Amino acid sequence: MPAYLQQADRLLRPRELSLPTLQTLPLLVLILGGWYGTVMGSYGGFGGERLWQVLYSATKVPLLLLATFSISLPSFFVLNTLAGLRADFGRVFSALLATQAGMTLILAALSPYTALWYLSFESYTQAILFNGVMFGIASFAAQFILLKFYNPLIRENKLHRLMLVLWLVLYAFVGIQMGWVLRPFIGSPDEAIEFFRENSWGNAYERVFQIFLRSIGQ
Amino acid sequence: MKILGPLRELDQILRGEKTKPESLRRASLEISLGQILGMIVFLGLLYGLCMSVFSMTQDYPGHEWQIIASMVKVPALFLLTLLITFPSLYVFNALVGSRFEVVELLRLLIASLGVALSMLGSLGLIVAFFSVSTTSYSFMILLNVFVFSVSGFLGLKFLLQTLHRMSLLTEQEETESSIKETTSPVHSPTEGGFVEIEIVEESSKASSNMASNFSPKEAGPLAQLYGPVLSGEVKTVFRCWIVVFGLVGAQMSWILRPFIGDPNSEFAWFRPRGSSFFEAVYHTFLNLFS
Repeated sequence: MPAYLQQADRLLRPRELSLPTLQTLPLLVLILGGWYGTVMGSYGGFGGERLWQVLYSATKVPLLLLATFSISLPSFFVLNTLAGLRADFGRVFSALLATQAGMTLILAALSPYTALWYLSFESYTQAILFNGVMFGIASFAAQFILLKFYNPLIRENKLHRLMLVLWLVLYAFVGIQMGWVLRPFIGSPDEAIEFFRENSWGNAYERVFQIFLRSIGQ
Repeated sequence: MKILGPLRELDQILRGEKTKPESLRRASLEISLGQILGMIVFLGLLYGLCMSVFSMTQDYPGHEWQIIASMVKVPALFLLTLLITFPSLYVFNALVGSRFEVVELLRLLIASLGVALSMLGSLGLIVAFFSVSTTSYSFMILLNVFVFSVSGFLGLKFLLQTLHRMSLLTEQEETESSIKETTSPVHSPTEGGFVEIEIVEESSKASSNMASNFSPKEAGPLAQLYGPVLSGEVKTVFRCWIVVFGLVGAQMSWILRPFIGDPNSEFAWFRPRGSSFFEAVYHTFLNLFS
């Protein structure tokens, strides 16, 4: 097993709080996230044009996590500084980055189920839904990794708890829109293969509002 | 590394080093006005650029100018609001007997604006990302209003906390000086000795109180420190001023509009007079849902 994959294992051991090195973490996101993306994009098979979708998805999953992370980080840095937690920010940074890597690790571990689902059922809507569930599970489980690294910080200073909540709000706010922009992840079998959907620009929140309004009949 | 000077100066404010009791004791706030002002303008320009990304993705006549307009308008918004509200703050402060000189007061406010602009600048990336990916003008307006409110809130919170720290220090200095006054005329050995012992205890108590109020290693610039508050009137003046600053700032942003640029109309440096900020935000909110 390559050394960096052995390092990934460290993310999961509850007693050992030694993190993989900062150089390894983004690499893990790229490899493991890329792996889940490959599986995710394989909905239409690997033949001909569909191979592009596999490649696109393999790029998009790490991109989704790393871009959301980098866009949210500067404001979180300023918030931490204002709260007087600058001295801890090195540890905070590695905890957050480790969570990104941890999330891809969980996704990668779930990828066989996705493959099995694709082989069993043909419906595109169900495929989307299943992937949504997988991402949901991974995000939920990744919180345990995040908490594991954050708990010592919270013990030292209670303010870290508030910061953690702020981070999750910030990350989710940006991440939802990022996921919307980077569509399609799976690739509808009826539409052409493309990196971004044409006319896909739009706002996730606005769309949700509109769907909500339509559903209550306004 | 001359360029990094202002950045370091601002960073020290953000880390609370400038508002630690040791630093506050010596003068009001030991900051370089010019450098912080420079950073405010720079961060304003940066945020303006992020804000104008929305107009870059649109295609209406003269939208290129919106980039320059937004960049200039953001720092102008903050500095003009300060310019309008500063004289009255100074006058009312002096009226209620505060110890602030003009420059000291200005330093305090510029430092607060520095905090606000740092938050604003760091949120710029998120705003730029949403500008690129969304087509909804209403959403962008509301997002920007929210981002400005958060930044402004943090800046004003910094102002109030620094003020509170200063009043704690004044309190301590006053008790110290009153102790000195009582100790100096000591003539009778018996009485004097008694008084002195008591005073030593009292002053050590006072300083230990201060030490428990300030734990400078942990406390950030926004941390609440508990203790007696001096000069309630001064704080009231500042509280009122904060409300005024918020109102003026909001209306100033309305006068200086458009910041983002309506994709359905031509570019204009300013829009015609009329209406108010609050009315507009309300209508935008309704627009988002329609």
